[in-house]
Amino acid sequence: MGQGQSSPFGPGGNNPKDKKDEKNEKKKWEPPVPTRVGKKKKKHGGPDTAFKLPPVYPTTRCKLKLLKNERIKDYLLMEEEFVINQERLKPLEERAQEERARVEELRGSPMHVGTLEEIIDDEHAIVSASTGPEFYVSIASFVDKDLLEPGCSILMNHKVLSVVGVLADDADPMVSVMKLEKAPTESYADVGGLDQQVQEIKEAVELPLTHPELYEEMGIKPPKGVILYGPPGTGKTLLAKAVANQTSATFLRIVGSELIQKYLGDGPKLVRELFRVAEENAPSIVFIDEIDAVGTKRYDATSGGEREIQRTMLELLNQLDGFDSRGDVKVIMATNRIESLDPALIRPGRIDRKIEFPLPDIKTKRRVFNIHTGRMNLGDDVNLEEFIMAKDDLSGADIKAICTEAGLMALRERRMKVVADDFKKAKDKVLYRKKEGVPEGLYL
Amino acid sequence: MTASDKSAAAAPAPKKDDAAAKGDSPAPDAAKGAAAADGKKKTADGQPVVPEEDELSEEDQQLKSELELLVERLKNGSNPALHKPSLESLRTLIRTSTSSMTSVPKPLKFLRSHYPSLIALYNTWPESRAEKKPFADILSVLAMSYAGDDKRESLNYRLRGAGESPGLWGHEYVRHLASEIIDEYDARINAALAANPEAPIDKKALQADMMPLAMELVPFFLQHNAEADACDLLLELEALENLIPLVTKETAARICLYIVSCVSYVAPPDDMAILQTAHAIYRSQNQMPQALQVALRMNHIGLVREDFEACEDPVLKRQLAYMLARQGVPVDTDDETLTEILSQSHLHQHFASLARDLDVVEPKHPDDVYKRHLENLGPRGGMGGHVDSARQNLASTYVNAFVNAGFGSDKLMLPEDSQWIYKNKEHGMMAATASLGALHLWNVEMGLSAIDKYLYSEDEHIKAGALFAIGMVTANVRNESDPALALLQDYVTDAKPSLRVAAVAAMGIAYAGTARQEVLDLLLPLVSDTAVDMEVASLAALSLGMVYVGRVNGDIIDAILQTLMERDAAALAHVFAPFMGAGLAYLFLGKGEAVDATLETLKTVESALARQIAVLAETMAYMGTGNVLKVQKMLSLCTDHLDGEKQDDQFQAMAVLGIALIASGEDIGTEMALRSFNHLMHYGEPVIRRAVPLATAFLYASNPQVHVVEVLSKHSHDNDPEVSMNAIVAMGIVGAGTNNARLAQMMRQLAAYYHKEPNHLFLVRIGQGLIHAGKGTLTLNPWHAHRMLVSPTALVGLVTTLLAFTDAKALILGRAHYFLYHLVTALYPRFLVTLDADLQPLPATVRVGTAVETVGQAGRPKTITGFQTHSTPVLMGQSERAELASDEYLPLTSILEGVVILKKNPEWEPEDVEMVAK
Repeated sequence: MGQGQSSPFGPGGNNPKDKKDEKNEKKKWEPPVPTRVGKKKKKHGGPDTAFKLPPVYPTTRCKLKLLKNERIKDYLLMEEEFVINQERLKPLEERAQEERARVEELRGSPMHVGTLEEIIDDEHAIVSASTGPEFYVSIASFVDKDLLEPGCSILMNHKVLSVVGVLADDADPMVSVMKLEKAPTESYADVGGLDQQVQEIKEAVELPLTHPELYEEMGIKPPKGVILYGPPGTGKTLLAKAVANQTSATFLRIVGSELIQKYLGDGPKLVRELFRVAEENAPSIVFIDEIDAVGTKRYDATSGGEREIQRTMLELLNQLDGFDSRGDVKVIMATNRIESLDPALIRPGRIDRKIEFPLPDIKTKRRVFNIHTGRMNLGDDVNLEEFIMAKDDLSGADIKAICTEAGLMALRERRMKVVADDFKKAKDKVLYRKKEGVPEGLYL
Repeated sequence: MTASDKSAAAAPAPKKDDAAAKGDSPAPDAAKGAAAADGKKKTADGQPVVPEEDELSEEDQQLKSELELLVERLKNGSNPALHKPSLESLRTLIRTSTSSMTSVPKPLKFLRSHYPSLIALYNTWPESRAEKKPFADILSVLAMSYAGDDKRESLNYRLRGAGESPGLWGHEYVRHLASEIIDEYDARINAALAANPEAPIDKKALQADMMPLAMELVPFFLQHNAEADACDLLLELEALENLIPLVTKETAARICLYIVSCVSYVAPPDDMAILQTAHAIYRSQNQMPQALQVALRMNHIGLVREDFEACEDPVLKRQLAYMLARQGVPVDTDDETLTEILSQSHLHQHFASLARDLDVVEPKHPDDVYKRHLENLGPRGGMGGHVDSARQNLASTYVNAFVNAGFGSDKLMLPEDSQWIYKNKEHGMMAATASLGALHLWNVEMGLSAIDKYLYSEDEHIKAGALFAIGMVTANVRNESDPALALLQDYVTDAKPSLRVAAVAAMGIAYAGTARQEVLDLLLPLVSDTAVDMEVASLAALSLGMVYVGRVNGDIIDAILQTLMERDAAALAHVFAPFMGAGLAYLFLGKGEAVDATLETLKTVESALARQIAVLAETMAYMGTGNVLKVQKMLSLCTDHLDGEKQDDQFQAMAVLGIALIASGEDIGTEMALRSFNHLMHYGEPVIRRAVPLATAFLYASNPQVHVVEVLSKHSHDNDPEVSMNAIVAMGIVGAGTNNARLAQMMRQLAAYYHKEPNHLFLVRIGQGLIHAGKGTLTLNPWHAHRMLVSPTALVGLVTTLLAFTDAKALILGRAHYFLYHLVTALYPRFLVTLDADLQPLPATVRVGTAVETVGQAGRPKTITGFQTHSTPVLMGQSERAELASDEYLPLTSILEGVVILKKNPEWEPEDVEMVAK
């Protein structure tokens, strides 16, 4: 009829005999599926959203919320009952099996992988095989045309090269690497002191994901992100690890320097991908360590590289508080040079909380020492107070280094106990190394 | 503050306590697991676990020892004089402690180990001791975090305590007490039931001891912005009426909003109690419009009248009259202005002013709507040679009628030299003449003068059309002279069947919802006389149903049931027979259990039709209630796979429509029903699948949500032609009166796609007409007033048309396409018109935007989002809401829909004037 192009595949696998009969008695219009080729469908819209569960308001805990959720449950139970009854009466599985087998048959095997170059109309497209040449082929009717877009990878029939399937192109492999598969072992218990900081990060990052209703009741919007700053070795990364350990939300971690890519536009693209993945897997926490790699103050950059870094940061700015609203995505950043960061990056609205990690005070030092020496065999003569009370600027990392160094000393001498002397030497060694780089008294 | 986290973080042991004590621990499961694993690992290694005391900071240590000292003093019986100060300092310590949002306050944590011993101590003290009561108070607070969930010790000790205000112990404690009261009450009721299931439970006695406490908690909640908690507590105790005296002007709106939103979700006796409470609150706050709204929702005519009479402010009373008019509730009054408002005789003027304001007065030709030039017909163009031109003309007639509905001008019928009627044949001529009624909708004088000349026509069909037009012109409006009754009554018994059909149907449309005795007297003989043709008899029953909608009129019920029993099987198998059932069903609209007796009678009728009618009547009775049990029943009716050739399966179509009818009116049910329809489409037999698009159309009438449109668009290409036809109509209804561009484009694609299928093409045209109904100014949705009320006349009009589509081939595509005209009772302008006290139009700036759910939110949340500012009169979509943009005027009703009277705000000061003065 009207669309009588020669197509190697009958639409939807109609068998030719039926078609002939139909033609004889009445010229039947064969209804193909309506299509919207070329525009990849976004998450919203489309019939699928019709079958999502409706959102429930209010979000505060109250009877209305309970009643609404119970109503949803009732409907779901009814659906279940109906579907179970139907399945008993008329097993759908067999039919589906049959249909699947038929599709397999139409697809043929083996299949080739190719690239979609251009879509001509609802049923035809230009594809290029992996070997190079391009072909004008038909698109099988069972292919989900919403997924087709120029440039995507497709499956092709091995004989006529018609499009028989779409390969879902997944997120950037770079991003999937960032996803934290295994939670780190460090927990809050391994953080010595830093009570204020732990509480602040909990309020800003964890509780909005677990207890959103608390914020709702108060009528405030939870903070979007936090920045952790302070001298090196004060536990910024450690705290982030503890957060990752503690939460069941998706945890994405990336280091600022990873965002700097070889080609122009790759960095911003990576940032976009990162936040897209974060939103898809929401609730999620994005941790960007050493943000100063991309987030330094903007100035008139002359080199292309500088400009690219700045563009990466601009993309980051946009993702943090841009036009599209992010859902349950929380951002944690860490740096030890907050003064060099671009003010736009850490303005409230993008980063609502700035958490300082100072050098530990005496109480904290004691707890850090306790944590690190908790599993060591200490000699009776070891008096940790001596180190704790000392006036040196010891960071958490220094303390850890002292303990490790002391342990190594003992090991060298094949002792099973760490004695006070080991600690003294270790401290000297660590502090010596620490001061080495600083030209002492230059400005005095 | 910080140390509670510190100790939780530092030592594994208290952390577990922490998690356990919190009950709803914030830490995700993984965290608990990790904590537990942590604890185990350390002990397993044989390493000494650091004792918890060592981890405490100095302040904590101090606090702990202080607490321990106090506990010791209490336990020490030798010096009872110290007990009182110890208790007092304990109390101060607990009260002054703060904590982070989700962890337990420190004093409570440290006292945990002493809790059992304190209870023992408490029990040893004699009742007479003065200190015993404060002690009970402290134990009550402690029990909040230690006692098991089902012990309710907190409440127990609270009742034995001194009875200080519970609010002093903090918000969390009050909430905890409230939840324990609810639990205790439930437990007592269950116990009473278990002990003696037969005896009636004296609910008041069961809660007598707790009630004073509850009444202490409620004002606390109300003061602290926790209206939801207060309402929940009283709802659970079934004592909502106690709320009324406590409500203040500030809290009234929030409380009522909350409890009224609960109505759709609670079981039957409670919903009325809630509505009554809301009504009483509104009355006590003297907010008459809202009170009237609730009374209308209760469907309690007496209360509605009472509210209306009770209103003393003449201007406000006019506003109430507008609300009553929209709902179609007849109320007698002596005031001429009020009578005019109630009869909706101004409706066409308001509509005309809206049209002028929007610049859509210019009539539209059906071709302007079809936009054929945009239809992509491919190389051969639209020259489908065998297109049925009669069908096309018929479609154009209807499209013309819908598109120019109410405007009183068009390009086909009304121009002087119009020959359009004669371009049609037979029943096409009838439809064409009848379209005059739709064109002059609501405008009785103009309409009648335009129709008049056709009443004397020789042609039977033209005359029938004219009769039909009379009915439509007077739909939803009343007129003193009652022209419809005067003109139609002679034809009801006319010898010519087509005239009788038209007169009877027109009668139903004209007097829908009025319960007029004259109509009853005229039509009832037609129903009960078995000699009358089934078409006329069924339509008479239908019209009676429309006129007496929701009135449970015994005479009509008896007559219809009698007819069903007396008529022979052939008559009951007639295509029109279901409408007799529809007439019966409409009588029970929203009446719930009142339908039961009739259902029993229907079971005795030996006909397939009876079952169909029973399903329809039951759904009508529970329409809009969201009653899950009824939905379940309807779904189970759809389970069977029946062979339409041998068994009657039409009742399944009714059941599908029934799901939509019952579930409509609240968002959750609507969306969940849509999900069920997906399954029905998947598994159902053809008869079910055909009804699904219609049911969807009902749920989303004039509310073109993107996902619904997508689903219907999918069905519009279904292999079963009847499914696709119904889906096309459904798309029309879903987009009715919205001018939705997306739907319009889909329709054009469908027109190109089905250009060889006359039936499909006819319906595509109808759909296009509906989408552009009133040039995009009308709505078909029976729900109005923020989806709180359902207009019965609109409902029956819409449902009648949908019923006609369940057998589209025989009815709509046959001779009985006039069922499309039943939609006119559902048509209503989707406008907001603002008037001043003298009912003169008063343009005001309003913001119109998508409605946002604001129930139970903190503060004063925005009610609309993504708004645009317009000057009234203004159009509003189904999911939109309006608010006044400036404080210059105050609306008399909080629901800005339809006609709203404004009054000047006495506190308003014009900013600009001051600027000019300076």
